Amino acid sequence: MHPELMLMLLADARLPVAGHTQSGTAEAALANGLTAYDVPSYLRTRLRSVTLVEAGTAVVARHRAQVGEPLADVDVAWAARTPSGALRQSSRGQGRALRRLAERLWPDALAPVGELRTPSRAAVLGAVSGYLGLGSGSLARLVGYDDVQTVCAAVLKLAPLDPAVATGWVAGALPEIAALAAEVADLKTPDQIPAVGCPQIEAWAEAHAVTSRRLFRA
Amino acid sequence: MPDHPDRHEHAPHAHPDRALRLGVCGPVGTGKSSLIALLCRELASSLGLAVVTNDIYTDEDARYLRSAGVLAPDRIRAVETGACPHTAIRDDITANLLAIEELEEQYDDLDLVMVESGGDNLTATFSPALVDAQVFVLDVAGGGDVARKGGPGIERADLLIVNKTDLAPYVGVDVAQMVTDATAVRADRPVIGLSRSDRASIDALLAWVRSVLDSHRAGTLVPRDPGPMARHVHAHQH
Repeated sequence: MHPELMLMLLADARLPVAGHTQSGTAEAALANGLTAYDVPSYLRTRLRSVTLVEAGTAVVARHRAQVGEPLADVDVAWAARTPSGALRQSSRGQGRALRRLAERLWPDALAPVGELRTPSRAAVLGAVSGYLGLGSGSLARLVGYDDVQTVCAAVLKLAPLDPAVATGWVAGALPEIAALAAEVADLKTPDQIPAVGCPQIEAWAEAHAVTSRRLFRA
Repeated sequence: MPDHPDRHEHAPHAHPDRALRLGVCGPVGTGKSSLIALLCRELASSLGLAVVTNDIYTDEDARYLRSAGVLAPDRIRAVETGACPHTAIRDDITANLLAIEELEEQYDDLDLVMVESGGDNLTATFSPALVDAQVFVLDVAGGGDVARKGGPGIERADLLIVNKTDLAPYVGVDVAQMVTDATAVRADRPVIGLSRSDRASIDALLAWVRSVLDSHRAGTLVPRDPGPMARHVHAHQH
């Protein structure tokens, strides 16, 4: 199968992995003072911090899966670089959703994460991507693109505006996504995964996890 | 029409070894949460129960059920729908399935898992891939003509509840007529006029739930999609 088609499949919001329950912490950010005007810089901040960690983790997981080495320490490296428990829990929930889909469609892809009880989304996505023949650059761009679309789609629900404006934000973020991919595409080992936290996003994610007025899971 | 090879054995989607998954949907305010609380009160002593809620704001319904004290708080889980309550029960049911599977992993005594939809409009019904059977809830206060208007849940949910019948005199609704109208659009599917002050109606509801549970355990329950679409009507005889 052409890897480009597989990439489209995985990047499609219609993939049944509960993507509609995610806001990329945008709901908490808007609740705490971020405005729609700030969204482009919020996207950029994510692509240089939490999303960079996720993309780097996915690329290393993909490499490990392809050479048949274990992923446990990749997931540990990701967890060490994701200090917010709420963000880790959210990622593990998404990992479970993707694993559930892969169990039906590509069960052999899951062998590398079989030993992990609750793998991160990055670990599962890395394993699945390697199995489906996606290159590491494509995988990194997928992680970045999905993050940007997740935030923009959630903002459209939370603070509605002309959807062309939101798609303009996505288009405007594409060079930054490409830069992220260039930074992590060649990573091979867990110690190379970028360790770039974003305390403000982490604090928002923590606050969101304990509010009882959520629309989005995270 | 070709015969399905397994039709005479277990139904294609039957899972008699796991808990029955019962969906409860219907418009906002018709009494879905109270219906679930009622079922918990009546059934908790004889069945292993759990509940998954899909409210607008995370855990409004879950908190109501927890505060009602009818079930251990940890057996009531809330699913966020990202402002897409319809999607979460119909086209991407993943979040709900994961919540149910987590409950099944943690509690090995489950007989019945109830899934409450976020209060949606008349068109929202559960995917048969998510629930084995579903109840659609209307109430008399919503108006006596709602049942006659029809819609997928009203016409084809496995059970239609016309709730709060005790309020009928105060809102000028003829319950018997509303139930007759509902029955007319539902062919032979059951309708129950329910009030928590009417013991006979509660017993009828419990009998229905137990009969569905029996057919689920026997492997003969076929989850049916009420569908989002209007019933297909042939313009002419073939």
